[in-house]
Formats: sequence, structure tokens, C-alpha cells
Amino acid sequence: MMDILSQLDFTFFLLASIGTLIGIIFGAIPGMTATMAVAVCLPLTYALGLEHGLSLLLGLYVGGISGGMVPAVLLNIPGTPSSITTTFDGYPMAQKGEGERALRVCVVASLVGGLISAAVLFLFAPLLAEFSIKFSYVEKFLIILLALTVIASMSNNMLVGIFSGAIGVWLSLIGTYSLSDGGNGNTRLMFDFMEPYLFEGFSLLPVLIGIFGISTILLEAESGVKSSLTGQKIKIGKEGGFSLSIFKGRLTNLVRSSFIGTFVGMLPGVGGSAASVLAYTQEKNLSRDSSEMGKGAPQGLIASESANNALTGGALIPLLSLGIPGDSTTAVLIGAFTLQGIQVGPLFIPENTDTWYIMMVALVAANIVMFLLMFYAIKYIARVVLVPKYLLYPLIVMMCVVGAYAINYGIMFDVWTLMIFGVLGYLVQKVGLEVAPLIIGFILGSSAEVYFVKSLESFGTLSIFFTKSPIAVVLWGLIAASVIFSIVMGLKSRTRRQLEMSQ
Amino acid sequence: MEASSNSPLSVSIDFETSHLFFPHIIHWVLAVLFVLVLLFRVAPFLAAVKRGEKALPILGESRDNFRFFGTLVLIVAYFYLMSVVGNFFPYTGYGFLITSVVFLFLMSLMYMHTRTRRKVVTAAINAVVAPTLAWVIFAKVFYITLP
Amino acid sequence: MSNARLVKGIGVSAMMAAMALGSSYAMAVDGPLRGNVRVVIGSSSTGGDTYQNASIVVDELSEKLDLNMKVDAVGVSAAYNALQRDPRGNTLMIFHDQSYLGHLYGVQGYEDPFENYIIGPTIAINPGNAYLVPKDSPYQTLDDIIAAVGEGETVRVAIQPGGVSEIGYTALKNAIRILHPGAEENLVAVNTGSQSDKNQLLFDDQADLINGSVQANEQYTRLPEDDQKAMRFVWLTARHDTLAQANEEGLGQTDRETLLQFAEPNVQVTMGDDQNFAFDKEFFFLYNKDMDPAIVEQIDTALEEIYAEGEIQETQKRSFFIPDFMASSESQEYLRDKAERYEGIIESLQE
Repeated sequence: MMDILSQLDFTFFLLASIGTLIGIIFGAIPGMTATMAVAVCLPLTYALGLEHGLSLLLGLYVGGISGGMVPAVLLNIPGTPSSITTTFDGYPMAQKGEGERALRVCVVASLVGGLISAAVLFLFAPLLAEFSIKFSYVEKFLIILLALTVIASMSNNMLVGIFSGAIGVWLSLIGTYSLSDGGNGNTRLMFDFMEPYLFEGFSLLPVLIGIFGISTILLEAESGVKSSLTGQKIKIGKEGGFSLSIFKGRLTNLVRSSFIGTFVGMLPGVGGSAASVLAYTQEKNLSRDSSEMGKGAPQGLIASESANNALTGGALIPLLSLGIPGDSTTAVLIGAFTLQGIQVGPLFIPENTDTWYIMMVALVAANIVMFLLMFYAIKYIARVVLVPKYLLYPLIVMMCVVGAYAINYGIMFDVWTLMIFGVLGYLVQKVGLEVAPLIIGFILGSSAEVYFVKSLESFGTLSIFFTKSPIAVVLWGLIAASVIFSIVMGLKSRTRRQLEMSQ
Repeated sequence: MEASSNSPLSVSIDFETSHLFFPHIIHWVLAVLFVLVLLFRVAPFLAAVKRGEKALPILGESRDNFRFFGTLVLIVAYFYLMSVVGNFFPYTGYGFLITSVVFLFLMSLMYMHTRTRRKVVTAAINAVVAPTLAWVIFAKVFYITLP
Repeated sequence: MSNARLVKGIGVSAMMAAMALGSSYAMAVDGPLRGNVRVVIGSSSTGGDTYQNASIVVDELSEKLDLNMKVDAVGVSAAYNALQRDPRGNTLMIFHDQSYLGHLYGVQGYEDPFENYIIGPTIAINPGNAYLVPKDSPYQTLDDIIAAVGEGETVRVAIQPGGVSEIGYTALKNAIRILHPGAEENLVAVNTGSQSDKNQLLFDDQADLINGSVQANEQYTRLPEDDQKAMRFVWLTARHDTLAQANEEGLGQTDRETLLQFAEPNVQVTMGDDQNFAFDKEFFFLYNKDMDPAIVEQIDTALEEIYAEGEIQETQKRSFFIPDFMASSESQEYLRDKAERYEGIIESLQE
């Protein structure tokens, strides 16, 4: 125990803070992600030693995930893929001049999500790892399906929404059926001449920032970049109209979303962005007053941000108790251990208790630092919307370029992907398709394919999806509930509209 | 699809062609949805256009052509020239740096409605400082490869 | 127009700044390789063995050559694209046996590396490629598996198709074909992806044998037998002599002595003619076909000096890699031979 205390010196906490700060900056720049922040700082950890290195990296991880909220709320561009659902309510709030309030809600939700997941990680890691290996291809497919049902409930018109979602899934299938996912490595849905560029398909991040960032700029350019500011007005007043009372009655949402985030983070391969999408779906389905969600309701922010920060603890569970990373960032984190000659696997925690405790301290510290940094800096960050558009837009394009180019360590096609999806996003909105369902289809499409096809390959029958395990049955229950709910909601809003029409 | 004999639910997938299995399903889903969308959304919409109640998207709308096409052209030129210029200085990030300065400045000018001296100077400073800062931080401090 | 002048001014000054900086780089070296160098790798993971090996070597090389060098984990397809477009030597690539195995297995996107690129020096071996069974499996050794398959039992092997993960499976199948002709059909591949997918298939009882690695699976072999996750090594594909060079402590709590029990000649997978199959996963450089031969020589010499100093070997061994330097001319011949041997096995099964 003394060993641990001696490690927890000033440098340790300083590194955690620096890490968090750099992480937030990376996360806040559209296209720069937590994964990238961890990857670029990985070589530093060799010089720092394991404990100090880990505190820096965990800071980067937590900071990077939280930083994504800033452009999501203020500019409608998800800073990281997992903050996609933050844009749904955050940006409408920012347009109403409540950007600062929205960000504060996000920060508090992030802190709670991060701390709950850290507690879960600390108390139940080995137990949960045991549980997570009960999820085979079949159950993972059902999780993805459940997340996809959000498309039905969040679209303005269900038919158009589902159609947009299917287009998103189709786009995600372009490229190879990847060998590393167990596919046969053959390309499909493209012509031969595209192969050098599209072999691996479109990568997620450039697609996201293209469809959100570049297309927004195109739409603005079309209307002549009229008003020179992005935010029409900013609510002045103490803390931008934020008070903790926003969270009154939202405790269930907060805790539920944190657990969903932790849980999804724990399933290797399901992917980080599914966490916030799933939490958002559940809030939409279960809450009594969800009709405002998507138009600027703080509860959407709470669900999204608590879930995506809860990912951090969740994704560390399989890493530290199975040796298997839960998401892309923890996959890079493995490098920090191997660089120091430490193996991660089922015996990591029992054999490296000191390191394990130190990691927990670093994780909690990073969350607290994140909160302090963000909560007090928000006032200034929120002023981004006061920058004139003629300066802001070129800057956004440039940063999108840096992010897109760097995300896969320097591929020029990723930059062109920005352009392609910027134009596509523009056209999609013009012809009346819906962007959010399309992007959710794109995010979840490729894993849906792998898990669906692999389940059928191993079991050879569709009935396996119903009979595989009790978990599968429960998941079907949730899927059915979600679908029925969205149909009921759809009918309700239709009758309401008809009533209004007839009056 | 490759349905088999014993049960209506059983499916066998040949690994060699498994990359086409899921896309095949999605194509059918898309086709069905497309027909539905045509029937329930597009047809009523076109009827409304014919009656003159609504305008066609893109074609029938007003647009600031100068700024819209200017943006498209500038972005395409920016992306293209970045790698061309970058190719002269392999992996130094100068391609990014040089083209960004020019791009930022031109795009700022294009988006301004009134070009006062003050605004132009701000844009110029912004165009030089921002890319330089980005270049120093990412290419020099974090060793991220830039074009 | 003042605006136009401003534009021009900015362009010119940026250009000049860039030139000034650029020239200072070029001045720093006298060798044929100049400017910044980017080393792309055929893996998109920065936590994997390719990245680790590449960065160990590139760090040393960058110091020796006094150049800015950086490893970028862009993945196979993008790496080949980048390499193909740059004959100047500013783009180099590091990859492993997958480069030609992918081609031999006919995977889309893999061209013959011996035809399309210059094969550079080898740098290291990862001796960790392994096959594992559940701890409570009825099969004690690989011989048990070969015998069982020979008697008509179906054994399912979880692999990632089309390369390094499949080669051991192919060799095993070939050995069964030689020992029990016709029975090799009973050895079935379960095609899957990442290590976690392979482990999962074992936990779900969807596979009897899985491909894995010493690094990723060692801790699983130390779990108690009643744990659902417990596994046992039955085969390490590395050559005995390669594995014998590892540090005595081996990896984790499993020492070299124990690991050697699972490698040839203790475990025999015949290739016919009294030859035994073994596979070392070797990492090597790949260059653009038209790159200046002087650069090939420059890198060879630099690496030769680095390996002669003897420090890099310690770093590699600490991460359970086996140092393995062969200059370009030697490695070209060696790898071509190696590829031909495996081509034989792969083809014999396709008849």
C-alpha cells in the first residue's frame, strides 16, 4: 500500500490534469478524437514510466471523450463519434442562445457518467467480464438492432427516417467485408477503379464531420452567409441560466444512461457510439415527457453525455480483465502496457494490484479535473458562437481537414471523404431525407452485418436469434417495446397534427 | 437467398460469397422502402408542385450562386492543391500550411458582405496565424503527419 | 486592389518561410535519403506487434541517419498505395509475412510483393504465433488432434482467414492429408476476425482449437481448469531455434523452457519428406520498386551498424521479439524461399 502512496505524487496528478486538458482540446476539435490524443502521446509514456504514463493517458481518454460535446453543442458537429446524440438537443439549445446552459448540463452529466462507470469498474470488473463473454455474435447483433430502433422513434417521418437509415447502412457496407472482422476480404458495392481509395470503405470520422460540418457550411453559403454570427443571441446571466434544478427528476435518466454507457463500453466490438445512441433511445422510450427531445431538451443531453463518458470505465473492463479492448481508444492503450512489458489479460488485476489501484485513482482524478476545467471554462468556450462567420467557417474547414487527414494516420482520401459527404449531406437535406437516421445507420451498419452474417454462418438458422439464450429473449423484449413505442408515438403525433389541421 | 431444404428458417452461407449476403438484403429493403417513399411522399409532393403549392428542391429555390459554387470550388482546389504542394516537401506539412493560409484568406473574403479595411486585416491575420499555430502544434509538437 | 496585393503577399511570405525551413532539413544529411521519412505499416493498430517492432527499429534508424522518421499505422491497402506513389524513398513500409501469404491465399488487395516491390532487410521475429484448446479439452497434444481427425472426428479451428493466422491451420490440414489421406476434410476452419472473436468462439464451444498468441493468451493458460475461460497451448509454430533465443523468463509467468515444449521438434507437423513445418512471423522492410538502390544500401548499412552495437536486441527481447537482421540481398533470397515452401503447402490442399 505504501508503494501506491509514493507513486501518487504531485507529478502524478499534474500529468492527469495535463492529459485531461490536452484531451479536451483534441476532443473539442472536430475530427480529433480521444483515440488520436492517446496515440500521439503514447511514445511519451515510455519515458514517464508505467504509472505516470497511465495517468497521462487516462486523462487524455476522459478529456477526449468529454471534449466532443463542445463542437456538438455549439457548431452541430460531433467532436467525437460518441457525441453524435449530443448534437440532437445541444445545437437547438445553442441556437436558442442557451449554449452555455447546454454545455453545463453536459459537463455535469459527463462527470456523473464517468464516476459511476469508474465505480462499476472498480467493484465489478472481473464479474462483469464474466458476464460480457456471454454475449456472442447473436446477442451483439440484437444490441445493434436495439440501437437501430432509435431511427424509428427519432425521425420526423417514420418512413423517410427508416429509408434514410437504410441508405446509411448501405453506405457503411461499401469497401471490403473486412478480414479483421472475420469476413472474406472481398470488396463490394463499388467499381474496380475505386478500389485503391475505397478498399476499406469510408471511414467514420470524415463521414461524420463531412455530413455535419461541411454540409452546414454549404447550406449557409447557399443562403449567402447572411447574419454574421452563428448564435443569434446569448443568454446573459449567471452561468447562462444553468442551475442544478435541471437535474431534478432526471436522476433515473442519469443513472440509467451511465449504466447503459458502461455496459455497451464493456462489449468488445459493439463500439462507443452505440452507447450514447442506446442511452438516447431508452430515454426517448421510457421517459414520460420525451416529445421535446431533438428540439433542445436537456434530458437528451443528459442521456447522451452521461452514457458517452461512462464508456471510459466500461471499455476498461474487458481490457483489464480479459486483455481485450472495449473500444478503439483502449485498443491504443494496450500499447502503453506492452511498451512497458506488462501483459493485460484475465490475471492482470490479481497480479498487478498496485497498478490497478493507481489506474483507478487516475481515472477518478481525470474525471474531476475534467469537470473543474470545463465547468469554469465554459463561459469563455461558449463565446465561440460570437466569432464572425467569415472567420469561423474557414477555420472549421481547416480543422476538419487536419482531423480527417490524421484520423487514420495520414490518408488523403479521408479528406476527400469530407467533401463527398459534405455534398451528400447537403443533397440529403435538400431532398427531404433525414441526416440523423442516415448517420446512425452508417455507424451501426457494418457491425450489424458482421454479427448477423457470422451468427447465421455458425448456426445456419434464423431461429437462433430467438433461441440462443435468455439474454437474447430479453433483448427481443426491449426491441419490441422500442418499436411499439415509436409506432404509438408516431400515431399520436399524427392525430395531433390532424387535429390542428382541422381546427 | 440461399435458403435450404429442412426448415424455412435455415440459411446456409457460402464463405466465398458471404460479402454479398448482407448487401443483398439491404438492397431489397432499400427497394421496398423506395417504392413506399415514392408512393406516399414523392407522388403527393410532385402533385403539390404541379398545383404550384410547393417548389422543387435545389432547382426551384433561390440561391446565392456566387458563395455556394465559390465554396465548392475553393474547397476542391484547397484539397487538391494541398497534396500537390505537399508533394514538393514530403511529410513536412508545408502543403497544408501554405494552402491553408491562402484558403482561409480567400474564403474569409468571399464570406464578407462589406469589405472594410479592418475586416480584411483581421481576416489576413487570422489566415496566417491559425494555420501556423495548427501546423506547429500538430506537426511539430505531436508529430502528426500532415499533407 | 489592396486585397489582391495582400493575397499575393501572404502567399509569397508563406512560401519563403517554407523554403527556408525546408532547406534547413535538407542540409542536415549527406546520404541519398533526405527530407522527412514516413514509415507506413500494414496494420492499422498502434497497439499491435507490427507497430511495436517498426517503432523500435525506426527510432534507432532515425537517430543513426539523423532524419525525421515517423511510423504511421495506415493499414495494408493505404500503406501499399502510399508506397507505390513515392519512388523518392520518403515513404518506406514495414510489414510481415502477411504480405506474401495474403497473395498466396488470393486475398483481394494483395499483389505479389516480390514482383511489385523491393524487399528490404528483415528486422525481427515475433515467435508468439500459437494454437490453443480449452483447458478441459480431450485433446492433450497436437498429435491427439491429428489422430482424432484421422479417425473421422470433426475438429473446428477458429482462424482469421487469408494469412498468418491461417498458415498453421493449412499446414496442419496438409499433415493430416499426408498421414491420413482423405481425413483432412474433418478439420474445419471457422473463419473469424480479432483475437477476442476467436476466444469467444472457444468459450461458446463453437470451436475446438483456436489460433492465438503467447502474448495475448498466456494469462488464459494460467486460469484454473474450472474457469470457462481457461485454455492450454498445444502448438507454437515458431522454429525451435528461434524460440530458444528468447529471454529465459519467457513471457508472463511462463518460462522459455515450458514454451519450447509446444514447438518443434516436440510437436511435429509434417510437410512430407521428413520435413517439419515451422513458421516464424518475420518483420521486414518493403520499398518502392523504383527507389534509388543507394538508399537501399544506406539503410542496410545503418541497420548493420545498429545491430552490431547490440542494444536494439535487448529492447526487442524485452518485448518478447527475437532480433533477426538480414541485409536486403540476403533477406530477398531467404523470404522468396520461405514463400515458395508455403506456396507448396497451400497448393497441395487446393487439388
